Amino acid sequence: MKDYLFLFRGGLNFATAAAEELQQAMTKWKTWMDQLTKEGKYNGGDRLTRNGSVMKGKDRTIIDGPFSEGKEVVGGYISIKASDLSEALEIAKGCPIFNYDGIVEVREVAKNN
Amino acid sequence: MLIFQGGSSAQQSPEQMQEHMGKWMAWIDKLNKDGKYVAGEPLLPGGKLVSGKDKVVTDGPFTEGKEVVGGFFIVNAKDINEAVKYCDDYPGAEYGGSVQVRQVMKM
Repeated sequence: MKDYLFLFRGGLNFATAAAEELQQAMTKWKTWMDQLTKEGKYNGGDRLTRNGSVMKGKDRTIIDGPFSEGKEVVGGYISIKASDLSEALEIAKGCPIFNYDGIVEVREVAKNN
Repeated sequence: MLIFQGGSSAQQSPEQMQEHMGKWMAWIDKLNKDGKYVAGEPLLPGGKLVSGKDKVVTDGPFTEGKEVVGGFFIVNAKDINEAVKYCDDYPGAEYGGSVQVRQVMKM
């Protein structure tokens, strides 16, 4: 088994969504995560707030967020177990983010040993 | 969450790469010793994107070059400023990389 990181980009903005829509989305996410957990594929993950900063380049310039705009903003991540990239992609396709026009970036974790 | 973007070491000699890895290990050790480090992973290049309602699969990580996510840390900090301060030791800075510092949402 390998570990894959799913970076969730775009989709529903939880900070600005209407209460009812937010509730529906949360339920869908919970169902998906519960299923992954039950199948022993879920390693962990977090949702991110829109607050943040970027530190950039040699001069370590700090650019303040928030990260409010754009479909590419990372809104959260999870780590999952899969035998290969194909399985990881099949798992990713179950993500509720696709109901909200989002993107899942699927990346294999580099193992040092 | 510290998201590392760019700062790739593809042009390095084996010696430089060794030295660069050493800097990363020293940084992790320091954060660990201070009780700030929670978790982290480096990511392999490549990967796939799954997008939109039709779940279209395309090649490659999101965006290219300087923007590609190469790895991440989860750290403890009392606020965003403290988390940004940790990045003074970020070894990718000398290769033009950047760190996106984001607050985790507690459920």
